[in-house]
Amino acid sequence: MRLGPTAGAAYRQGLTGKRRTGLTANTKFSAQQDSGQTGARIGNRTTIPIEQLLHSNPKLWRGCDMAGQGSHGLSTGYPELDEILPGRGWPRNGLVEVISKQWGMGELQLLLPLMRSVIAQGKWVLWISPPHQLYAPALVQAGIDIEQVLVVKADTSCRDALWSMEKALQSGSCGLVLAWQNWLPGRVLRRLQLAGETGDTLGVLFKHNVSNHSPSPLRMEIKSSCEKDSAFSDAEVAVLKARGNFRPLSTRLDLYPCFGPDFRPALQAKSEPQPGLYAHI
Amino acid sequence: MKDSESMAQLPLPEAGESRVIKLPLPAGAGPQPQVRTADQAAPAPRNRGKLWYALFLPQLATLSEPQQERILKHLAALMESVSSTVSFHPQALICEVRSSLRYFGGIEVIHDKLRSLITPALQDRGLPDYFLYAASPTVTGSLLLARSGQNLLVYRKENLRSALGQLPTEVLQLNKEQNRRLYNMGVRKIRDIWRLPTDGLHKRFGSDFIRLLNRALGSAAEPTHNYLPPPAFTTSCDLPYELENLDRLLPVADELLAQLCDFLRHRDLSASHLVFSLLHERREASEIDMALRQASRCRDHLLLLLETHFSNLSLPAPVTGVRLHIKQFDAFMSESESLLLEDKAAPTTSSSSLDQFMEQLQARLGGQTLKSINTIAEHCPEYASQELDYEQARKTRGTRKAGKIKAGSSRQDAAKQLTIVTRQQQLPSALVADNPRPLWLLDDPLELTRRGSRLYYRKPVSLISGPERIESCWWTGDEVNRDYYVAQESSGSRLWVYRERGGDRRWYLHGFFA
Repeated sequence: MRLGPTAGAAYRQGLTGKRRTGLTANTKFSAQQDSGQTGARIGNRTTIPIEQLLHSNPKLWRGCDMAGQGSHGLSTGYPELDEILPGRGWPRNGLVEVISKQWGMGELQLLLPLMRSVIAQGKWVLWISPPHQLYAPALVQAGIDIEQVLVVKADTSCRDALWSMEKALQSGSCGLVLAWQNWLPGRVLRRLQLAGETGDTLGVLFKHNVSNHSPSPLRMEIKSSCEKDSAFSDAEVAVLKARGNFRPLSTRLDLYPCFGPDFRPALQAKSEPQPGLYAHI
Repeated sequence: MKDSESMAQLPLPEAGESRVIKLPLPAGAGPQPQVRTADQAAPAPRNRGKLWYALFLPQLATLSEPQQERILKHLAALMESVSSTVSFHPQALICEVRSSLRYFGGIEVIHDKLRSLITPALQDRGLPDYFLYAASPTVTGSLLLARSGQNLLVYRKENLRSALGQLPTEVLQLNKEQNRRLYNMGVRKIRDIWRLPTDGLHKRFGSDFIRLLNRALGSAAEPTHNYLPPPAFTTSCDLPYELENLDRLLPVADELLAQLCDFLRHRDLSASHLVFSLLHERREASEIDMALRQASRCRDHLLLLLETHFSNLSLPAPVTGVRLHIKQFDAFMSESESLLLEDKAAPTTSSSSLDQFMEQLQARLGGQTLKSINTIAEHCPEYASQELDYEQARKTRGTRKAGKIKAGSSRQDAAKQLTIVTRQQQLPSALVADNPRPLWLLDDPLELTRRGSRLYYRKPVSLISGPERIESCWWTGDEVNRDYYVAQESSGSRLWVYRERGGDRRWYLHGFFA
């Protein structure tokens, strides 16, 4: 378990209190003392949950608690996602891996708000060897200034693509670097991560496969929402790994604001069989 | 014609004849080639003044200022072959020839040489190929003499007053009011002016007038605006032994770049186009052509670029020497730093660092790989997006920005503004379809299989919304006649599919809502 400075202080307090036990024992001890005071009022010592007590102490930091970490990240634009990310948003630099089993799961929608804010700061977004043609009208619809978008063509060799990504991250002249590469060894990922830290730039790597051992500080997967009542634009985003958090979390997001709220009714109206159009399906 | 010893009058070019009349020199006017015997002592070098050769081109008066300037610059470069000091004047060039008299063997030779250079240069530009000329010990004097068209050579300062005196006052190129006043005073020639009291002239015509006359006589200093030849830089280095490893070449290249940067710093320039050649034995040199996005004189940046180019280069043969040549220079633009230290703390990515990075990227990946995207007002989905080369996009962007700044100035710009407006209309948001478009578009639509009543991509596909009918491009013969649908695969990915409305009515996948 990681001990924050305040937790350490609590531990030392425990030692001075002649109780040579671990952190949990110590917190339990203080919790019992506290409940001793409050319990006198309600008359039952065991009804106060320890979670609540731990939460009420602002000096106590717990690894599994996202709320107490301040908001030093870049907001994702999705409040539900911010809630489960350490620092309440994307990390400011380094490498993020976004995993989806196939394209079209909303992996770019997830990053559009970030792109908008990066471009609003006058920085550039570099797309390194995207798998398909980047479609400009869609970017314009998403409110992105396409003058600040640069694409390195897809037919670039993997070596060159990685070289460009490393240089782009290192130089710090781009605001956001997006790349599409499967199967990168941990050594390469580590190098990209360091490059991002050097240049204080965020790099995002889109891939299909889940690699369990990767040095990137944030790894997330997008899955289709499996619940029955899920709308067309809903997706489930799972945080597989996040530095500063050791509990896998997931949330359900409405990833396609571009379709608008009235999108679903429209499709229901259309779903009635129309001769000549839908009859063959 | 008072002193025929040192002053000669030449006939004016006649009306039909556009030739330059040769300057006949009286005997003893210029230094003659001397033959000295051994026992004859060399004459003590006399400290003689300068001799200015003026070349006046009245035909330039019909041209615009920038054209005149361009022609004069071109001619000045030619005149550099006889003199190291060439100065610019309105429609005239004046060079110092005293220092080169002995080398060329007399002013006649210099004049012939200049004529042979300047006549073809004027002909090339479609101008009448004559010019007026004169030589005298003062710049202004030579200019006035040349303007008079009398093609005089005045060799000594003492004779200048009488030579100038007989010129009409028109050569002074005064304004209309001053000319009228002089005429009313009964002044026709310059010598009449000299008879008048100086303080009165000063009062009536101003100090510039007096200064002009004093300069012509050599009694006032004459500042000149001299021709500076354009900078040129080429340096090379022979290697003591042949090299095949380009990494070992980097220290040598660094040395050359250091020389270059010194050169640039001394002249307050920066380089914008470099050619780095690797010389081989009995083989053409391999050249690395580096046209810089932004002119630079930063040694580290240039070395980094060179290193990137080296990594792409395969050597056909061992290198025996290297050469660095600058094709294009640019003025050096430095960035101003803030006075207060606090401002430095906030790191801002300047456009120059981005430019340097782009340059590095292009050096490694090649020019065609870096793309910028743009939208086009077009119904047919595959034509609505456009990939531009980054360089090209940058240029159009530059002109657009310049246009925005210019907006609302003179009437001349009205036409320009019109084109700018149409360009702006082509740009974002205005002319993009309202219906959702996918972020990924397939270059070639992928046919979907149909089994029974279901569509399949990899997994079953169900339509979500649609249709959006697009009919376009019938005039190209390659008609687009489709119904577009938003669809979802059972695995969850959102697709953009369409169905052909003609022929076999097949289904295609055209994009991903990524």
